[in-house]
Amino acid sequence: MSITETFEYAIKKDVRNNPIVREVDERRQRDLWRSVGIGLFLVLVALFSAWQHFELLRHGYRLEQMQHQRAEEEEVGRHLRLEIETLRAPKRIEKLAVDRLRLVAPGPGQAIVIERAIPTEPPDKTVVASR
Amino acid sequence: MAHPVSFPWRGIIRGRLGVCTIAMALWTCAILTRLVLLQVYQHEELQARADRQHERTRSVPPKRGDILDRNGRVLAYSVDVNSVYAVPSEIADAAGTASKLCAALEGCSTRELQTTTDRLSRKRPFAWVRRLISPAEARRIADMGLQGVGFVKESQRFYPKKELAAQLLGFVGIDNTGLGGIEATYDKEIRGKPGTILIQTDARHLAFSRVERPPTSGSTVELTIDENLQHIAERELRAGVELNRAAGGMAVVMDPYTGEILALANEPTFNPHEFATALDSQKRNRAVQDIYEPGSTFKVVTASAALAEGVLGVNDQIDASAGRIRFGSRVIDEADGHNYGRLSFTDVIVKSSNVGAIKVGLKLGPERLGRYVQRFGFGSRLSRDFPAETSGIVWDPSRLNDSALASVSMGYQIGVTGLQMAAAVSSVANGGSLMEPRVVKAIIQNGRRIPVRPRQIRTTVDANTAAELTGIMEAVVERGTAKAARMPGYPVAGKTGTASKIVNGRYSHTEYNASFVGFVPSRKPVLTIIVVIDSPHGPNRYYGGTVSAPIFKRIAEASLRQLGVAPTIDAPPPVLVERARPQPEIPAAGPAALPSFFAIDASSGDLPLIPDFRGLSARDVVRTLTKMGMTAKLMGEGFVVDQKPAPGSPVEVGATCVVWLARQMPVLAGETTVDDRQ
Repeated sequence: MSITETFEYAIKKDVRNNPIVREVDERRQRDLWRSVGIGLFLVLVALFSAWQHFELLRHGYRLEQMQHQRAEEEEVGRHLRLEIETLRAPKRIEKLAVDRLRLVAPGPGQAIVIERAIPTEPPDKTVVASR
Repeated sequence: MAHPVSFPWRGIIRGRLGVCTIAMALWTCAILTRLVLLQVYQHEELQARADRQHERTRSVPPKRGDILDRNGRVLAYSVDVNSVYAVPSEIADAAGTASKLCAALEGCSTRELQTTTDRLSRKRPFAWVRRLISPAEARRIADMGLQGVGFVKESQRFYPKKELAAQLLGFVGIDNTGLGGIEATYDKEIRGKPGTILIQTDARHLAFSRVERPPTSGSTVELTIDENLQHIAERELRAGVELNRAAGGMAVVMDPYTGEILALANEPTFNPHEFATALDSQKRNRAVQDIYEPGSTFKVVTASAALAEGVLGVNDQIDASAGRIRFGSRVIDEADGHNYGRLSFTDVIVKSSNVGAIKVGLKLGPERLGRYVQRFGFGSRLSRDFPAETSGIVWDPSRLNDSALASVSMGYQIGVTGLQMAAAVSSVANGGSLMEPRVVKAIIQNGRRIPVRPRQIRTTVDANTAAELTGIMEAVVERGTAKAARMPGYPVAGKTGTASKIVNGRYSHTEYNASFVGFVPSRKPVLTIIVVIDSPHGPNRYYGGTVSAPIFKRIAEASLRQLGVAPTIDAPPPVLVERARPQPEIPAAGPAALPSFFAIDASSGDLPLIPDFRGLSARDVVRTLTKMGMTAKLMGEGFVVDQKPAPGSPVEVGATCVVWLARQMPVLAGETTVDDRQ
């Protein structure tokens, strides 16, 4: 058995290739950049998709919050309308007018009745017509 | 021959690599198997579990529709309020929490405190503490920050006008189901349909997405009721019942041409918010549910039949002498022992002669009278809006003997409702059309208004008969039993009724139904009003003419003023004002629209000088000109900018003064404006 067979990887070849200039393989270079471009594109697509997803989620939260807010505002509006209608009750207004403002109902002749110039359409058959 | 080189470490590496490869393959297979197991075999179960964790389906109760009056004023309305609940399993100190809750809730009794403590001690997942609480109560509870106590929104029905039209509107239970009145009759329309919301939540239970099937809101019901007229009717009825120390009463105000009920009042009444504590007598809609013997008001039907059938004319004489009539052992007297002698047919009704009416009824016979009783709508339900309406009691004409016919002729042995009586008299007022009494004017659904058209049920009498009867009923008010119903300026037609009530199977001598039914102005009717007072014991005794007619008068006076119906007899000058029209700027120099005018009583006096009206309102001008006895012409709207005759001119009484009105005051000569100064 020779020494070269025993130490297969121990042989140190004195290869001096510094002066050798490796030629650029244009084709492989193009492939490399294409791969990088595709990879970058895919990463961007993935990032865009993720951004969309998170935007969707963010808007979902926002939408939910605004819908809740709108429902609350609507309910406040309904409460206010109820309050207005309660305050408008004829019985309450009359009580205020009589008790607080000392108003009284007008007597005969104290009120001028304002009629509409265009009277409501009379029905087909009336007592007036028959007279 | 060379021997192959042997490297034992290569074998070792290869063996180890093989083991790793197999391990990796097994591991991959295990993962794949698990994936198949989860994704394929347990897919549905796991999907359902995941959905349960991050999806919530919530039922959205519909908002109950509103109930409005004919002018759009709200009579019934729903808003969301808080109900407070507890999760007893999360509450450590049940008694302490119950005590704190009770302190925050208004009107919490010892019994309620005990009930709440019991509920919180049972360690169930859910328990109501109190439903539909006020905002102040909710705030107090929220401020305490109690563990295991939460709120849920529930819709609550409110009646902002409280007792107004309570029997008509009805009320709803705690689960928003209509339990009476319009709320129950139109419950299907008002209630709406529930919706659902699918909410997706994250790990923190925050919602980020929803799929919604919105609830269908209930329809809004627009009533024929006028809020103000209803208030007037209730106010006057209450005052009348109190004055006459009566057990109760009812009043119906109706448009005779359309059958629309403008007001329907019952006394005693109740607050629909507290319906649980109200008595049945308070919740009953007497006008449609109670039947009563109408007494003399029914003589209108007897008279109508006699006139329409040509049995008697308005001037035909009827012998009502002796003041009594005998049927076997039964003797029927005139009221208060009167003996009217011979009376004209008109005076039989005017004086409300029982003997006269009986003789008219006997001349008519049971068949013909029965036919008119049916034609006027007695004995049948008239309105679709009142499912609880009573049809009344009407005898089979073929089974009426003379005594029974006599009773029916004067309004006994027949049961009617106030609504039937009002509809019958309305048919006289409108010239002979029996209109269906309606209380629903329109249904508004999804912004679309579906009106309910007036419906004529049938013709009762011809227009001439109605006109003759109107004249007789006017005489009742002018010189008969209903003088208390006379109204200055308005012709009134009506009929009084005083009927003994049946107490313990016998006609009582102390308990009566006092009623009055009529229409006004009788020459061009706007309102039919019926007032029935149950068991009056006051200073006005128990007659329809003294008890009910004054209430009728007060309701009619205030209602006509509210509706703007001008007096027609000996009236102060009626004012006719043109309907307001949108006017963008100062009106054109000449009168572009139809003028409004004032008809003013002429009165004697010296020639006055016309004042300067510029800058005054139309109301002030009208008032001044009315006092001067002049006629006014109004052009435009707003404040007076010009007038003719010019200020200071002498004018004759009865002359016409034209005034031009505008919304913006013009610049008078010599004045400067802000713009000028700038």
